[in-house]
Amino acid sequence: MSDMKNKKPKIGVFKYSCCAGCEFQLIYFQPYIMEVFEAAEITYCKMLQSAGSEDGPFDVALIEGAITEQWQVEQLKKVRLVSKYLIPIGSCAVCGGIPAIKNTDEEYEVQKRVCNDTSVIHSVKANPVDQYVKVDGYIKGCPMGVRDLTEMVISLLLGKRPDFLEYCVCVECKLRGNICVLVAYGQPCMGPVTNAGCVALCPTHNRGCYGCWGPMTDANAKALADQFEYMGLSKEDIRRKFTEFGQPSKEWKAGQVE
Amino acid sequence: MKTVKKNIKVDYMARVEGETSIIVQLDHVPAIKLKIFEPPRFFEGFLVGRKYDEIGDIVSRICGICPVSHMTTAIQAIENAMGIKVSSQTKVLRKIMCISQIMASHLIHLYMLAMPDYYGYPGIVDMRSNFNKQIKNLIRMKEIFNELTGLIGGRALHPVTHIPGGFTAIPSNHAFASILEKLKKMRPLAKQVVIDVSKFSVPDFHCDSEYVALDGDGEYAFNEGKIVSTAGLNIAVEDYYQAFEESEVDYAFAKKSVLKRRFSFMVGALARLNNKFDKLQSKTKRLADQIGFKIPSDNPFHNNLAQSIEIADGVEQCIKLIGSNSFEDEDFNIRIIPGAGGSVTEAPRGLLFHWYNINRKGVVEKANIVTPTSHNFQNIEKDMKKLVTENKNKGRDQIRLLCEQLVRAYDPCFSCSVH
Repeated sequence: MSDMKNKKPKIGVFKYSCCAGCEFQLIYFQPYIMEVFEAAEITYCKMLQSAGSEDGPFDVALIEGAITEQWQVEQLKKVRLVSKYLIPIGSCAVCGGIPAIKNTDEEYEVQKRVCNDTSVIHSVKANPVDQYVKVDGYIKGCPMGVRDLTEMVISLLLGKRPDFLEYCVCVECKLRGNICVLVAYGQPCMGPVTNAGCVALCPTHNRGCYGCWGPMTDANAKALADQFEYMGLSKEDIRRKFTEFGQPSKEWKAGQVE
Repeated sequence: MKTVKKNIKVDYMARVEGETSIIVQLDHVPAIKLKIFEPPRFFEGFLVGRKYDEIGDIVSRICGICPVSHMTTAIQAIENAMGIKVSSQTKVLRKIMCISQIMASHLIHLYMLAMPDYYGYPGIVDMRSNFNKQIKNLIRMKEIFNELTGLIGGRALHPVTHIPGGFTAIPSNHAFASILEKLKKMRPLAKQVVIDVSKFSVPDFHCDSEYVALDGDGEYAFNEGKIVSTAGLNIAVEDYYQAFEESEVDYAFAKKSVLKRRFSFMVGALARLNNKFDKLQSKTKRLADQIGFKIPSDNPFHNNLAQSIEIADGVEQCIKLIGSNSFEDEDFNIRIIPGAGGSVTEAPRGLLFHWYNINRKGVVEKANIVTPTSHNFQNIEKDMKKLVTENKNKGRDQIRLLCEQLVRAYDPCFSCSVH
């Protein structure tokens, strides 16, 4: 992230299909929020302020939410054109997240369970942002992790390349000195295939990781799925584990077999 | 006589949770539409086929501002469906977690979403120099409430320890003691919130509405109780479907919920105060009296004030609950028993309903979720129509601001409403 020294970077925040939790994480990103407001200018963020234009230009566009409708694709492509850097924030935008669970069924079947009149619905399968535009990094997490968010803001201000975490939850779990919940207690833990960033939150609280940070690059989903089967989980249970977060991502495909 | 046939349109309303536009047709009889265009995510559709122990984690993602409410309501509904009984400690922890989240949500709403309207700013960023003290207090208080939610839940946003049957980890009593001290120091700040909000100059506007809330025995109910209203409704949670009816509308992705054979109603902080003011701590009642807040109030703009009063009360309730309990690790086992069940809780924005049918494998066969904003939807439009009618001689910009202020006073959550 070069050329950004000595001027206040302009940030645009766009929300698509999601819970808005990442935007809350950003706007209410205590205790650093006041410093961020001093150092950067948030020029477009509907949940924060009524002024501002979506037309940019932006030094960084932060995108939250999965893409589930055509107008979002069109707007996203325009945002890409007027942004120096475009970064998906949070699991929905990074890997499809929770909204992409619907991809495991026929789209129409899912819609019919909710609406009698589906003629007004224009939803398509939920996809991550990088399915439609080039991205310049990912701030993972559900909600997005404060560590990577801070790294992004600092990198922007220093004009350096951000160093986002790219290893699995197990690394953080070992560093915390936790006893492995999978090996020692036989809990189906998604830690070995899930990107780090949460500081092994679930295993630290006596439960297996459920994968909310989304897939780690080069995850060995097949090996973990085999381990789950060996532990006595049914095929459906295993498929559910690998589709709760990141259904569209290729890294967990091997665990999603019917 | 000249008629004004012009529309007022707010394309993408700022400073609310989620995406909506407002369309006002200024005519003899104004027509109002809250066009909630945020895309639906079909939670009730894809929850079918998921297992009982994932539901809490999944539904917390309906909303980034009230994840604890969705999680708790779903878990309680599943427990009711499967006949699971929980310990009194679990109930206390749930209540503290619920109150702390509601307070954090109210703080965001009051200072970051609502306040800029009353002082003519586009947002809180531009208010930093003139409202520095208020913003510092807001951040301080929100930090403490988030810390409390996170202490019990593992993290404040999308907690992880809360599962059907109880909590996977219980914080140490030492950790509770340390946050108790912080809460005690927060008392004057919370009182200041009520004073700050009482300075908002809200319109003198009155609407005839039915106010619906959850009411429990002898306590200001959040997670358990009966559904009551100011017009005499008094039903058990199990009878929800007998009283409420949800329907689709063609211009919004959210559904509207009304009371059968009656009409629209209001839920949220004002509805809670109108129904159970007597159950507030006596200190809070005195504070409400000091600023001249009288119940019942039929001014929807007073929802802001009601939220601030709840913040003052919430601090006291947390202090009481933490101070009078000690907490220890608990074991619990879950047996899968098929069944159907629901739960109603008070989310920050009002009544929240979840219902699940669970089969013998522990898998969801049917899910239904009705959020506070669906409950309020019809009433917001009803009130806005009256507001526009009463102010139709004012300028278009003024009418637009009034409409936005009204919607914000309801503190809607459109992400929740379309789920």
